[in-house]
Amino acid sequence: MVDSIEQIFKLLPRFEDIEELLQNEAEARYILKRAADYFQNSHLNGEEEEISYLVRGLVDKTWERIHSGHFSSVPVTVRKIYALACYFKIFFLLLEDPSLEQIELCGSVLDEAQLLGCTDKLYGKANELKEALMMYLDKDAIKFTRDPLPILAPVERRIADCDVPQLDAPSITEFRTKCYEKLQPTLLLNTINHWPALTKWRDLNYLLKVAGNRTVPIEIGSNYASDEWSQQLVKLRDFLYRQFGQGDGDQEIEYLAQHELFAQIPALKADICVPDYCTGTASNEADVDIKAWLGPRHTISPMHYDPKHNLLCQVFGSKSIILASCADTENLYPHESEFLNNTSQIDAAEPDFERFPLLKGVRFYKLLLQPGDCLYLPPKWWHYVRSETASFSVSFWWE
Amino acid sequence: MGRRLLFTGFNAFGQHNASSTERTSGRVNALTEISLSDDSDGKIILALSWRYTAYAVGKKLWLQGLLASKPAERLEVHASEEIKALAACDAHCLVLLQSGQLYKLRAELNATLQAVKLEAPSAKRNIFGQAKEAEDISITHIACGSHINVAITAGNAVYSIPSCLHRFPQGSWRVRQLECGHEHALLLNGNGDVYSWGNGLRGQLGHESLGVEERPLLLEPLAGIKITHIAAGGWHSAAISAFGDLYVWGWNCNGQLGMRVMKPDGLLKEPTVYPLPQLQDLPACCAAVEAETDVCTPIKAYAGSRHTLIQRSCGRLWACGWCAHGQLGQQPPKLAYLDSFNAMQQLPKDCDYNVVCGPWSTLIALSE
Repeated sequence: MVDSIEQIFKLLPRFEDIEELLQNEAEARYILKRAADYFQNSHLNGEEEEISYLVRGLVDKTWERIHSGHFSSVPVTVRKIYALACYFKIFFLLLEDPSLEQIELCGSVLDEAQLLGCTDKLYGKANELKEALMMYLDKDAIKFTRDPLPILAPVERRIADCDVPQLDAPSITEFRTKCYEKLQPTLLLNTINHWPALTKWRDLNYLLKVAGNRTVPIEIGSNYASDEWSQQLVKLRDFLYRQFGQGDGDQEIEYLAQHELFAQIPALKADICVPDYCTGTASNEADVDIKAWLGPRHTISPMHYDPKHNLLCQVFGSKSIILASCADTENLYPHESEFLNNTSQIDAAEPDFERFPLLKGVRFYKLLLQPGDCLYLPPKWWHYVRSETASFSVSFWWE
Repeated sequence: MGRRLLFTGFNAFGQHNASSTERTSGRVNALTEISLSDDSDGKIILALSWRYTAYAVGKKLWLQGLLASKPAERLEVHASEEIKALAACDAHCLVLLQSGQLYKLRAELNATLQAVKLEAPSAKRNIFGQAKEAEDISITHIACGSHINVAITAGNAVYSIPSCLHRFPQGSWRVRQLECGHEHALLLNGNGDVYSWGNGLRGQLGHESLGVEERPLLLEPLAGIKITHIAAGGWHSAAISAFGDLYVWGWNCNGQLGMRVMKPDGLLKEPTVYPLPQLQDLPACCAAVEAETDVCTPIKAYAGSRHTLIQRSCGRLWACGWCAHGQLGQQPPKLAYLDSFNAMQQLPKDCDYNVVCGPWSTLIALSE
């Protein structure tokens, strides 16, 4: 049952609920006090236009603070203020104009509050507000869906060379001794067959239904180390239609990569489960990062490494993967810039031995990751990943 | 008294007294004459932060805006001598006196001027143990942003206040301009060379690789080109050469480089970071449409957080970037940004002026 917008107003914070958070933030304190009081006092005083202007200013200003310096060094208070200001902005937008387009815009603002801001423990009713608001904003989203999307056919399992050891559904002890402790990349077979995701997600209409209205970050261009590459936030629905719909086929490749989709969309989280291999060896079970990787054919992650243990699980489609040991790091020509120093300059699919002569001494390991397979990668192992078909993978990172 | 100030942009905290609007807090969407809450004569110095504006006339300095709890709060202080320059960020205002002494005023009610002590340079001695000729430590240039505070001495020592970052050889050249974005700094010297340092994660340093430069680094891509004017926006930069070429680099998230934001299909964005200086061709100006060469060359650049203004030799101002808060003057309603340079309307003709950009605003001081 979707509440009316007036009922949702009641879930907004009173100033007392957020006062402590704002004690050292003069402008947020001034603006959010006026906004909170406005909704508490049944907005009688005709100050709507001015307060709405102030709230938008606060959203924009906080956005600038979040984009200054490293994201990791942005105080969590700033990200909480951003989320609060976005919530108030949504209500003012709805008061101004309740059209379908405006509701669509409000949905994006809500997603940005979650993606850039911090919506955790803002005040007592914050989660209730978020859920009610999301339900309210999503209720008409179905009107934006067009033709049905394809249901991808299951891929026949291919016999392929595999340069790393393979284990068929190993026990946790076996995984610990043969893979984790030895830092041995290994292909694990038949370990996620019970995931509902394996059968459900191939039907892209299911993804559209559960998550179509959510805003997600996508990468444009086939490879993040190239000059033409860029990143932006889009509706998952639009991404699905562009990349998997009945298009003309010459659109640019977009890749939903390395995104914490499952924290954003709990319904999808229910279709997977964190493998015991991760939780059984993690120093803190709660610290497993779960990332989604969804894209069309021929997305490429250039040769790079990550700092944590990694279990890459294939839900649908297949991916060619090339690995190299961390011992070969100095022969792999990492980029010099701060952003890309975990990324090699080489094209692992077609290594140029003249330009990069040290590559001759590097041992590359090749394999094909197919639906239901999981690849265990120890920290700092280099990997190049290219999708051979439309593909959805889930990765688990842990320490 | 002969000073007229035109303002457009963000004015949520009554930092400017816009004579045409009654409310202290509201968007100013078009160049509007503002009045000062002070009638003392003399040259006025202005620096705009997001939540207040700093004004100085002679020895007097006042901040107006949100300083503690409400709009249009005012803090007035007096310096011991005439004020030479101001630099403002949300936390504080840097105040440089004619003598080269530097003070800092926190943007809070009841704040007072605090002398800034730069860390003493290590004593330099020659091989006989005698102290070398004393270095001139009076400050000549200041600039600041939310994450950066810079001062340069007459002896060409560059300070990240209060520590010394770098010493250029004393007397080899003079600093012509120092500008700061939110987190980067640009320096232009009398030879026409540009140096940049600070955070370059959005390409604002112009050094191709995206990263942090701790010390001033010569901008190689512009080496050999004599630069005459520079501007630092929030995360972008602009430079104008003696040949009348305009170069821009850094973040184009709102079209502040004058580069297209969306791809032609209107669905996806172009890449938004330009880490190397791009030669920007300005649209034809004045009567130059049919002429072989455009006579209206750019002469000065100014930048706010996400907008850019270019003053051309004919006197017209051209603008691009974010305009959602009215920072580019009169624009169609609901337009969020201009991603190519457009001539700014409403500017009085045949009038000398100076431009000061606030983070989300533009202020034009007309001289009669």
